[in-house]
Amino acid sequence: MKRSHVRTLIFLALVLGWGAFARNPYHLQLLAVIGVHTLLALGLNLLMGFAGQISLGHAAFYGIGAYASGVLTVHLGWSPWVAGPAALALAAAVALVVGLPTLRLTGYYLGMGTLGFGMIVYVLFREWSGLTGGASGLVGIPPLCLGPIELSSGRNGFWLIWLVVLANFLLCERLIDSRMGRALRAIHDSERAAAAVGVDTARLKVMVFVLSAVMAALAGFLYAHMMSFISPSSFDFMVSIRVVTMVVIGGMASVWGALFGAALLTMLPEWLHVFADYEMMVYGLILMVVMIFLPQGLTRGVMDLYERWQRSLDRSRPSAQS
Amino acid sequence: MQELLQYLFSGIANGAIYAVIALGFSMLYLATELINFAQGEFVMLGALSFVTFWTGFQLPLGLAFFLAVLVVAAFGVLFERLAIRPVRKPQPITLIIITVGASILLRGIGMLTWGKDSYSVPPFSHNEPLVIGGAALLPQSLWIVGIVLVLMVALQLFHKRTLTGKAMQACAIHRQAAWLLGIPSDLMALLAFVLSAVLGAVAGVIIAPITMCGYDMGTMLGLRGFCAAMLGGLGSTWGAVVGGFLLGILEALGVGYISSGIKDAIAFLLLLLILYARPSGILGTQAVHRF
Amino acid sequence: MNVGNGPSTDPAPLLKAEGLSKAFGGVQALYDVSFAVDAGSVQAVIGPNGAGKTTLFNLITGIFPPDQGRILFAGDPIEGMAVHRLVARGITRTFQNVELFANMSVLENVLVGQHVCLRTGLWGALGRWPRVRKEETEALARARELLKFVGLDDVARDRSGDLPFGWQRLVEIARALAARPRLLLLDEPAAGLNPVETASLGELLRRIRAQGITLLLVEHDMSLVMDISDSILVLNQGRKLAEGTPREIQKSSAVTKAYLGAAG
Repeated sequence: MKRSHVRTLIFLALVLGWGAFARNPYHLQLLAVIGVHTLLALGLNLLMGFAGQISLGHAAFYGIGAYASGVLTVHLGWSPWVAGPAALALAAAVALVVGLPTLRLTGYYLGMGTLGFGMIVYVLFREWSGLTGGASGLVGIPPLCLGPIELSSGRNGFWLIWLVVLANFLLCERLIDSRMGRALRAIHDSERAAAAVGVDTARLKVMVFVLSAVMAALAGFLYAHMMSFISPSSFDFMVSIRVVTMVVIGGMASVWGALFGAALLTMLPEWLHVFADYEMMVYGLILMVVMIFLPQGLTRGVMDLYERWQRSLDRSRPSAQS
Repeated sequence: MQELLQYLFSGIANGAIYAVIALGFSMLYLATELINFAQGEFVMLGALSFVTFWTGFQLPLGLAFFLAVLVVAAFGVLFERLAIRPVRKPQPITLIIITVGASILLRGIGMLTWGKDSYSVPPFSHNEPLVIGGAALLPQSLWIVGIVLVLMVALQLFHKRTLTGKAMQACAIHRQAAWLLGIPSDLMALLAFVLSAVLGAVAGVIIAPITMCGYDMGTMLGLRGFCAAMLGGLGSTWGAVVGGFLLGILEALGVGYISSGIKDAIAFLLLLLILYARPSGILGTQAVHRF
Repeated sequence: MNVGNGPSTDPAPLLKAEGLSKAFGGVQALYDVSFAVDAGSVQAVIGPNGAGKTTLFNLITGIFPPDQGRILFAGDPIEGMAVHRLVARGITRTFQNVELFANMSVLENVLVGQHVCLRTGLWGALGRWPRVRKEETEALARARELLKFVGLDDVARDRSGDLPFGWQRLVEIARALAARPRLLLLDEPAAGLNPVETASLGELLRRIRAQGITLLLVEHDMSLVMDISDSILVLNQGRKLAEGTPREIQKSSAVTKAYLGAAG
């Protein structure tokens, strides 16, 4: 069996165990939020870790997913199952418009472009009060239902979110281990050489940007229908930074790092009550320290050692492999 | 007509401030090819330090101004030494994350030091608006434009007349060649950092009387300054000035003729537009790296 | 085994340059250079430093467009075309300083090299249908074959950046062959190699040519150039100085002068 299958099974077992044994509704909710954050980090990781591009406005796509679905269900009475895909499509279209000009240039412009974009979308959520409810938020978002079964809160909400997370994990692993994923990793190593083997680097970068925006919107969609209430502060600049921090801690270019980073940064404020006042300083320091001293992130450093050890095992028994 | 003049007055004052912030971006980019996402936080630190020194400690205006700039310059030195110098592989994405981290850290420091309240300070001199052509011109606007002009001339003299200024430009043109000629490029990078911090601080001090100063004022100002630098062409001194005034005036017109809600969006839309149409900016001659 | 498209029967030149000129600022890097490369041949470009070899190479590989002149590949104009489109048309290259995807394995490097030959898109990658799996299996087999061709099948799973320099160059050649090129451009392939490695490189290039792939190399190592080239183009100060078979070039007094200096 492939190593990735083993990891997936272990992961699945852990999640199932959690879901089955957690009694406290507060814990279930916390786990569901970790799932939403994992989804966000997973999407951004595709962009940052694998394509080497940054987004400092990912909360905007998260917010677009949440607000578009929220507005369509609350004001127009759409079914969440129709509003959700519409929200994802909207996020994809917006990502295309923002990504096309900025991704053609080197990293700094994308960073600044997405930063500005995040700010504008936040202002839009806050000021367009007729639609979004303004600063006080949008209330009464209906839960996701499948016939008579409510899927948004409690244990069912937990199952739904982690099912989506798991599916996205598998899709990400598949993507990375494919022609497109290889091309992406190639861009990360040398954009010049990637073009020289025939990779349309600009197009691929835009594609990943859109994909990662759609994953963020999916997270937003799940979040909105789980909480039934959303407000602009859930999608501000600090949220974008929090997602970047999750990816950086977990290690760029590591699908599993996204889970680790999301879990750690979601639990940290729960454990440290003084955290609130120091939140910004802690995130700032984490970003700086990890990037200066461990640019590969925590998990990647460990993974590198592990993979080197594996390879040395492979080489010592050359005839054993196919 | 009177209306238009009024918008122009307010646009020029804001534009002068954007120009100074844009200059900070440009100078640093020229010397180090780095874009400092914490540039806006330097503005915030400058403004809030000035508030403390002037209205808190009741120091004379000139001294408070000087001390505020000094504090921010010290932050600039620390930043370069502790966060930028130790980076082994200075790729854009690494540097972006580090400077974004620094901006968050500085914001956190700002919030802990000054709290979440906003502060306002009186203008540098009397507050009687001058009436020109039926439009009111605040004396603070004159202060702003005056200080910015003096700063421009000083910078231009520094670049053209002093050995250090020329050495810095040499570094910008070809770092290795400059190094071979004995120009300490490390020191030049540090100097560029300090100068860009000083420019940020000056922008913060002069904007303090016409805005509410709080720990979160920096990000949007930094973004506008970057937009102005891009408009005029990143790395071009006069481009930064032209871009700053252009952005300030366009914002004022947008607010005046369309709606005040649109103000924050204008800089961003212009940025996207310039990235689409002409990434080297209006006056930029330097090729922006595409691939 | 066959790594190329089979011997070409096309008698027309595969690559044709007409009156290429390129200036950088005030420096005329290349002035009115014309030449043609026959299909299935080995063409070398030589010249002293600053002769315009690299500029010519960059024009053909699409790094920048010429100021004047045309480049025809198999009869179609290609000047100013994006790099990745040139690869799809059958032009691949190697780099002077070797640019591998250092964090990827040797095998993965060659797999990426097949990018333009494979068709899996985003949906295929996510869905992993039978067709995609089949394509992937075939790509893997072909990558192994290519590595065998250059003699590196033992290190297929090693991180490419960890290999010695000479092997990295071979990986790069295998990667360039993976796209099934008709024309392979090599930028100083012998740079940094010792004489033994250079000799075996010459042997490898001859085997590649035997597959029907046309080669164009910019090279300083005269032993390699004289050994494998069918035709040599000599550039000096941005202009074409001479063109001919290795024997003709060796005899040419103009070439000797350009290399040894007018005073010599």
